[in-house]
Amino acid sequence: MNWSALWLSVQVTTIATVCITAFGLALALLLTRVRLPGHIVIETLLLLPLVLPPSVIGYYLLLALGRGSPLVEWFNVRILFTWPAAVVAATVVGLPLMIQSSRAALANVDPVLENAARTLGSSEWRIFWQITLPLARRGILAGVILGGARALGEFGATLMVTGNIPGRTQTLPVAIYDAVQARRYADAHLMVLVMTGMAFAGLLWVRWLEPPPQRARRETRSDAVEE
Amino acid sequence: MVPQLEVEFEKRLGPMLLQMQFSVGAEILVLFGPSGAGKTQTLQAIAGLMRPDRGRIALDDTLFFQREPGARAFHLPARKRRVGYVFQQYALFPHLTTLGNVAFPLAGRPDARARAMALLERMRLDHLAWRMPHELSGGQQQRVAIARALAAEPRVLLFDESFSALDRRIRERLHADLRALQAEQRLIVIYVTHNLDDAFAVGHRLAVVRDGRVEQIGQLDDVFTRPANRRVLEILGIPNAIAARVVEVTPAQTVLDWDGRLLAAPPLDLPPGAEVTAYIRPEDIRLIYPDRPLNRMSGQNLLEGQVIERRPGRHLHHLRVALNDGHLVEVVHPASSYTALPLLPGTPVRLVLRKESIVVIAPRSAEGQGDAPATVLAEPRDQNTA
Repeated sequence: MNWSALWLSVQVTTIATVCITAFGLALALLLTRVRLPGHIVIETLLLLPLVLPPSVIGYYLLLALGRGSPLVEWFNVRILFTWPAAVVAATVVGLPLMIQSSRAALANVDPVLENAARTLGSSEWRIFWQITLPLARRGILAGVILGGARALGEFGATLMVTGNIPGRTQTLPVAIYDAVQARRYADAHLMVLVMTGMAFAGLLWVRWLEPPPQRARRETRSDAVEE
Repeated sequence: MVPQLEVEFEKRLGPMLLQMQFSVGAEILVLFGPSGAGKTQTLQAIAGLMRPDRGRIALDDTLFFQREPGARAFHLPARKRRVGYVFQQYALFPHLTTLGNVAFPLAGRPDARARAMALLERMRLDHLAWRMPHELSGGQQQRVAIARALAAEPRVLLFDESFSALDRRIRERLHADLRALQAEQRLIVIYVTHNLDDAFAVGHRLAVVRDGRVEQIGQLDDVFTRPANRRVLEILGIPNAIAARVVEVTPAQTVLDWDGRLLAAPPLDLPPGAEVTAYIRPEDIRLIYPDRPLNRMSGQNLLEGQVIERRPGRHLHHLRVALNDGHLVEVVHPASSYTALPLLPGTPVRLVLRKESIVVIAPRSAEGQGDAPATVLAEPRDQNTA
């Protein structure tokens, strides 16, 4: 068992999940509330990481983080082949899941409820935090978990942008690949088990968040008595 | 001081142009009309949930909306208007308790909870304070919605088909609540419905809305006894509309030509030859027993025909009679009358109607404009036809 890889994976996934939550929620809000021109194109672009081969994402990230990119030349951000690059890769692949899930949840909030809050004197800010967000919380949380699970499992792009330096930039999925390459099967077994367990727990949590259909539909209790 | 809400605006809604103009004081104004007439959009414009293309909406000195040539464009956000809105689907916040819902507009005030509790008591809901909305019946939910709207201390309260999903008995109680509340707080209330019984149960005044405009506005019984035009007749479901021509006018009566049949109507200030729209009050048409002499009926209009349909009701029975010239006439009579007459379809009947039962509503040239109610009416407003 490669403990440093596990620890790095936990760190990378945690930070990436925070980024996924913040950016994903902001983008989902933008897509549901603002009718941008060409919004279908923007939505499709945001979904692209779901279907692109990891090597393609890795290549784009090399371009974005490597020499000659605005990040490096103008802002002097040099993170290629360091562990923050793994955070960037994990965020990029986890983002589409978060956007999809939370966008559906936000769109499902009845606009009549938001209008009711407006006529009751609420600011848009308060409506978002006290009405929209609590009502969309299941879908948003599901998006966070799915995005986080995807971030944890990120392999291909990470391999390309972190350089696979054991103890410094090697995350758990990459460490498994290394162990198999080096025929350390006992090591690989254990790490595969840990990964599977974490992914299973995450998906189980998402399933548990889905409301049972009859509870979601029910609006008025049939046995409530009029007085 | 009597508050006054002045509404005047235009809004293009697909093929329809919504053109609203009316004013409301401390009263319950019913907006009545078929669905799709623009009633909900009118409420939304008042509440600030929709922006008209043009016009001005103001409550006393408080400008709500203004967009007119030469004037400063202005839109007061919904949250600053103090206009309460009670939706048909209740629109309670499903993640908050009854108390949480009512206290929502009071957030930040130290007495929020006490005030919310007081409002719940006012609406007889205090025993349900800790229930979630989905644990309440429809009528209870709507009472919570009203309490919540009141918590925001509105000056105007809007009801958008709010009670139409509820049973008649619960509706009646809510109507009584609403009337008491309006009188107590001197609220401006606008109540949208497509149900005439509801309109009569709560309304002080009635605005008949169709195709995006107010066809007529006035006291409820005034609108009913003096519909402004044929469209209002149709919307109110008043039968027996006729198109006729004035033949002769004397101080005692007007003689109308209804497709060749002469009818005596109340005296009118109209020249002979004028084309008019009128209707015959269905409850004013009397049937004559075949064995009774006709001489007592002199000076009244006599019509002959045969029954084609009979619809019994709890209190009133409805008859459709085909006159000999082919016109159809609807007759309404108390269930206790004419019990000795066989009124089965096919039975020949004679009908008699006093001249006062013919109500001339408008000269037909004014029909297209749909303007103010016809002022030609000299008919006294007595409802007692017996």
